Amino acid sequence: MTVRHRGALAAMAAGVAALTIATVVACGSQPADDVGTDEAAALASSNPPSPTTGTGGGPSVPVTAGGLPTDERTVPPVKLRIPAIDVTATVNPVGVDTRTDEFDVPPSVDQIGWYRYGPGLETDAGSVVIAGHVDSSEQGKGAFFRLRELDRGDTLTATGADGKQRAYRVVAREEYAKTKIPLDRYFARDGKPRLTLITCGGPFDPKTRHYRDNIVVTAVPA
Amino acid sequence: MQLAIFRRVAAGGAVAALAFAGVGAATTTPAYAASSKVSVVHGIPDTPVDVYVNGEKTLDNFKPGDVAGPLTLPEGEYDIALTKPGEPVGSAILKVDDAKVPGGANISLAAHLSADGKPQITPFVNDTAKLAAGKARLIVRHTAAAPAVDVRAGGKPVFEDLTNPKEAKADVDAGTVKADVVLAGTDTVAIGPADLNLKEGTATIVYAIGSAEAKNLDVVAQTITGLHSAPGGVPSGTGGQAGTGVDTWWYVLAGAGVLLLVGGGARVATTRTGRR
Repeated sequence: MTVRHRGALAAMAAGVAALTIATVVACGSQPADDVGTDEAAALASSNPPSPTTGTGGGPSVPVTAGGLPTDERTVPPVKLRIPAIDVTATVNPVGVDTRTDEFDVPPSVDQIGWYRYGPGLETDAGSVVIAGHVDSSEQGKGAFFRLRELDRGDTLTATGADGKQRAYRVVAREEYAKTKIPLDRYFARDGKPRLTLITCGGPFDPKTRHYRDNIVVTAVPA
Repeated sequence: MQLAIFRRVAAGGAVAALAFAGVGAATTTPAYAASSKVSVVHGIPDTPVDVYVNGEKTLDNFKPGDVAGPLTLPEGEYDIALTKPGEPVGSAILKVDDAKVPGGANISLAAHLSADGKPQITPFVNDTAKLAAGKARLIVRHTAAAPAVDVRAGGKPVFEDLTNPKEAKADVDAGTVKADVVLAGTDTVAIGPADLNLKEGTATIVYAIGSAEAKNLDVVAQTITGLHSAPGGVPSGTGGQAGTGVDTWWYVLAGAGVLLLVGGGARVATTRTGRR
C-alpha cells in the first residue's frame, strides 16, 4: 500500500467522519413535529351558531339595562407552574407595545406575560394567552426555554389573582413561521376555553437577532 | 351607505320626525351578508312602550334606559310601531312604516326626544370596523332635548359642539376615563361626571337622553363586542440558544466531508488504475 493510497483513505475516513457529525447535528436540530394541530383548530371554531331571530320570535329579544359598562370581574393569572419542564414563573398583566403593535412580553426573561385584553382564568370562552421569552442575548435562558419540549397530556397549573389554582392539560404543540402564524385564532375571545402559551423558536438569525418561528402550546382545563 | 333607511314616515298618535344622522357613516357590506343586526335603544323618559315590528309585538313593556337586541333581521322593509304598554298597535304613539333595513349592517334605532322635546326615532349605523390591539371605540350620540354640548374626558373636551341627533366617535386607548357632558363652550356640567370603562376591542355607544328643561338628562349605554384584533406578533427571544436548524459551520463541515470523500475516493481509484 503506497503512502499516497493511505493518504487518500485517510481523507475518505475524515470525510465520512465529517458527514456523520453533520448528520447527527442536523437530526438533533430538527424541531419536534407539531402535535394536536387539529385539536387546537377545533377548539377555536367550536362556536354555537348565532341564533337568527325572526320578527315573529315573540318576547325572546334580549333586553339589557343601558347602564354604563363597568369593570368586568376578570381573574388575571399570577403564577404558572409546568412541572414537566421545571417551570414556575410569575405572570404579569401586559398589553401591546404601542410602538410596534406587538405583544408586550415582559423584558425580564424569568417572568411571563398574560394578555390582559383577552379573557382571564375565569373565562368560559376564548383563549387565555400567556407569552414568555425563550431566551435573551443579555439574560440567557428564559422561563419558556423548554416550552417546545411539552407534549400532549402534560399538565400545568395556573394560579389566579383570586388565589384559586386551575389545572390544564396540554392538547397541542405547534410551530409556525412568525409570518404565517394564525394569531387571530390564538387571541380569539370565543370558542372553547383554553390556555395558549407562546414563545419563540425555530432557526435563529444572528444578524437580526430574531427567531424565525413561534412555538404555540395549547392546553384545556383538565 | 343607504341614505334612506327609512323611506316613509307615518305619524301615529304623535308626530314622528325622522332624522338621518349617522346613516352617512360608511359600513362595509359584505356581499354574502343578507341580514343586519338591529338594536333598539329607549331614550324617552317616563314612557314605557310596547314595540311592534310588522304588526307583531316584539318588545313588551320596554322601559326607558333599556337596550334591546341585537335582533338579526333579514334585509328588507319593516313597519315599526311604539304603543303605550297594553294598547293595540292601531293607537301607536310613534310609528315608522317601511323602514328599510339594509343587509350586513349593524343598526341602532334610538327612540328619543328631538332637540325641541318631541319623540322621534333615529336610526344610527354603528361603526363595527375592527379595532387595533389595545384600542376601544367611543361613540357619543346626542339624543336629548338639549342644546349643543361638548363631551369631556379627564376635563378636556374630546367631542365639541355635538347637536341632536348627531354622533361623534373616536378610537382611543382602552381603559377607564372620567367623562362628563357640558353645554357647548362652557364649563356648565349637564351630565356626569361618570367613570367610563372603555374595554379593549369593544365599541361603547353612549346616548345622552332626556330633557334639559325637565331636568332629567341622563345616559344610556350600548356596547358592541368582538371588534378586537390580535397583536402584530409575539417577539419572545433574542438569545439564539434555542435555535433549531443548522448554522453556517454545518454547511462548511458537510461540504468538507463531501470533498474529502470524493477526493480520497478518486485518489484511491486512480492509484489502483495506475498499478494495474
